[in-house]
Amino acid sequence: MCRGAMAIDLATVERLAPDQSALKAAAGLAKPGKWSGLGGAADGRLIWGECAGSGANPYRVVADLEDHGNKCSCPSRKFPCKHVLALFWLSATAGAAFPVADVPEWVGDWLGRRRKIGGAPAPVAAAPKDIATAEQATPATVEDPRAAERREAATARRAEDTDRAIAEALDALEQWIGDQLRLGLAAFLDDATARCRRIAARLVDGKASTLAGRIDELPSRLLALPAGDRTRSAVVELGRLVCLARAWRSDPRDPELRRAIGSAESREAVLADPDAIRVTTLWEVLAEQVQTRRDGLVAQTTWLLALGGDTPRFAMLVDYFPASAGRRGSVFAPGEQFAGEVVFYPSRTPLRALLASREPLPVDERHAWPAADDDITVALAAVQLAEPWRLDTPVLLPAGRIGFDPAGKAWWRAGTGTALPLAGTPAAAIAGMRLDSAAALWSTGRLELLAAQTGWGRIDAHG
Amino acid sequence: MAEAILDAIGPALVRWTMGGAAAPLAPAAWATALGTDPADAELRLLALSGHFLGSFVVPMASGALVDRADLPRLALPTVPARPRPLLRRLLNGAQSGRQRQVIAAFVAARGWTLHPADWLPGANDDALPDVYAPWLDWAASDAGRQASGGALTAESWDDFGPAARALLLVEMRRRDPAAARELIAARLAGTDAEGRLRLVLALATGLGSDDRPLFEALAADRAPRVKAQAAALLARLGVGGDDATEAAAELAGYFDVQTKGLLRRTRVVVAQPLKTAAQVQRRAQLLQGGDFAALAAALALAPVDLATLWVFGSNAALDAGFAGLAERSAGDDVVDILCTALAGTAAGDPVVMQALRPRLAPAQCRALAAAVLRTRGAGALTAALDIAGPDPRFDDLVGTTAFAEIHKAVADSERPTPAAIPELWALGWLASPAAARAVRDRLVAAGLAAADPRLDSIRLNIMLDEGGSS
Repeated sequence: MCRGAMAIDLATVERLAPDQSALKAAAGLAKPGKWSGLGGAADGRLIWGECAGSGANPYRVVADLEDHGNKCSCPSRKFPCKHVLALFWLSATAGAAFPVADVPEWVGDWLGRRRKIGGAPAPVAAAPKDIATAEQATPATVEDPRAAERREAATARRAEDTDRAIAEALDALEQWIGDQLRLGLAAFLDDATARCRRIAARLVDGKASTLAGRIDELPSRLLALPAGDRTRSAVVELGRLVCLARAWRSDPRDPELRRAIGSAESREAVLADPDAIRVTTLWEVLAEQVQTRRDGLVAQTTWLLALGGDTPRFAMLVDYFPASAGRRGSVFAPGEQFAGEVVFYPSRTPLRALLASREPLPVDERHAWPAADDDITVALAAVQLAEPWRLDTPVLLPAGRIGFDPAGKAWWRAGTGTALPLAGTPAAAIAGMRLDSAAALWSTGRLELLAAQTGWGRIDAHG
Repeated sequence: MAEAILDAIGPALVRWTMGGAAAPLAPAAWATALGTDPADAELRLLALSGHFLGSFVVPMASGALVDRADLPRLALPTVPARPRPLLRRLLNGAQSGRQRQVIAAFVAARGWTLHPADWLPGANDDALPDVYAPWLDWAASDAGRQASGGALTAESWDDFGPAARALLLVEMRRRDPAAARELIAARLAGTDAEGRLRLVLALATGLGSDDRPLFEALAADRAPRVKAQAAALLARLGVGGDDATEAAAELAGYFDVQTKGLLRRTRVVVAQPLKTAAQVQRRAQLLQGGDFAALAAALALAPVDLATLWVFGSNAALDAGFAGLAERSAGDDVVDILCTALAGTAAGDPVVMQALRPRLAPAQCRALAAAVLRTRGAGALTAALDIAGPDPRFDDLVGTTAFAEIHKAVADSERPTPAAIPELWALGWLASPAAARAVRDRLVAAGLAAADPRLDSIRLNIMLDEGGSS
């Protein structure tokens, strides 16, 4: 328990709750087993923790026990949300679950940004709330077998409708790609944004929303390249779309293909899947990418590297939230290592994953990266052969360093002489270091460095 | 096989670029796979070509790749891992390059250097601690010159970057002024104006009458800044030209030496009242380009007497101009007198102290900063930080008026006011470790959360005192 801890009682939790349903949901989460990374400041004023939600990343929750100010990274519109209420609840009933710890960076960031409020926030509505009722378990309801049948039939009908809509949308996409070839890729590149927007809108209508988002982002990926590389990359990118469309037609039930075109499985479905690959080991957070997309969503991607095993294994945790929800704090600090279970979405080369559990390691405990791929071009080709539609491929590069071509463009060069172009200009420091190993993303014919091991220690190379 | 496919894809890419059917140009090996439907064949060719290019074709650099030199290791170790997140937050939150320099200097004064992944100086980032000179030269050099670490001689001159050379020349001037002068004189001819100015600035250390011929020769330099610097150094030796004498006579007309006190025995230098803005501007102009010894002579005073008879506190802008005149052209004895006067008076303005600061030793800077803390209220901490130099380790900050104001603001609203935030930031760099703890405890007791990022500089101070492990 925190030294000099300030107390909160269940009556206060009840008062803070916006409604009975939030209180009820909080009751289910107010168990130490639902949380990881619980901690409290030495002065007993702040408590924090991470709670698994419906996304790939856990939600980060922090609360001030003095004035009951709080913050949660979940997208709930209720304030405080069930996670904050659960954190308060846990503090009231199991204070020992909050060991005294260094205040994490994300908690410090929140403290710096927050506006002081005068005392506890007033409840939004005066709806009756009762903490005793919230604690009672909801009795299991027995479902009518005929209703279940009707529901299953409706689900099957919806799936058929979706498949039909997707098939028509993919026909339109192939027609559109054929038109671009017929009219010329030079003209396509000149007008890529508008043309991609139009076909993306058609794909959204055809329930191919993930594919629509990918095509919406295609112009920005192509236009980021040097002009001389754009036509070739347009051929690669459009060719991948054809591969994806034809693969889906050959097996519309394939979960990986459905995910790449329509929508991803829910967290519950992946966790319940007995065939899903589960990897429990030590992980390192390589980097976090936050991208605001043209469709108004923000994609928050966390790249993880497994520290056990003989060959590199990566995991990609992706969450989407509306840009209108405002800035969301980072879920992890780059370089952070933890022990955890990662569950992968079914795939030919599993990459996208969910974090099922996580326990932080002691600050001073550091583990080495696995051995890098010896021949990086072979490793990249192997992934492309298995998944020809794959956009980003993480790789662990062997020893090398950054070099510059006569035009001043940066390249990563292996000790063996293999050289690959870098996206953008690397940080000044990293160009003056020998890279013992580097984690990078291979995307649109360019390497994007995420992190590197050097004689100066681990270096963040992203952002 | 792969080469043949690549060669065959080339014409197809050209056709698609301009628009049109490329299937007839497809590699022969793919003919069967393309089928007979023309529209479908285009898409199949696109899929195969894209897959081939994306999987098996690696881009080639347009020429030989050139590496930058390795980033040099510095004389001090990099900070331990524990304080680095805190340092990163401080560096990211810094409002200016000057604030980042304060952080770098503080860390160096505590025996560490920043990690290059967290911060690197720019090529023109001057006013940094000497320990960063190798990084400055690395940043300035595209080829990444690697310092040899040996002695600086005419032969090893090109082995060092400008920042490392400047340090070695200053050190050489302290040890053997004549040898350093000869080395500098030999390199002046082949150096650009910026480089010549750096070399002349190095001569300010260990200044002596033997340097006079070199400065007189530099009076004919084609760069005005080099010429002015040489003239200023000559003036410090008590040698002024005819131009300086004329200007000093005009400047002396703005002042009067008067007596004061009951017995009229105490002499003071008094500024003549001015009637127009043009007069104020002209006086400032003359002070800016003047010669201290010549002004003293024009007032029939010895330079040290002029310094002694000057009374600070009546006009801050005039005081700053006078201090600036002394900083550029007066001898060390005059600068010492003025510093003592500023440190002892309640009216010592930080702006005036700043003007004199480049000539002051660290202990003198600290004494002036202490005077600011002692005599001023709001804004004193940031003003003192500008004067004090890195890590002055003041022990008595809790008792200052400036801290009392911050404490009151926090106690009243549990928040520092916007004006108090830069003052809090400065506190961390001014305080001794014990004072930092006292400040933190008082502010936390007043209602600020111990983890509040506005206490970051104070927390870093404490953490570095505990070997970076707090």
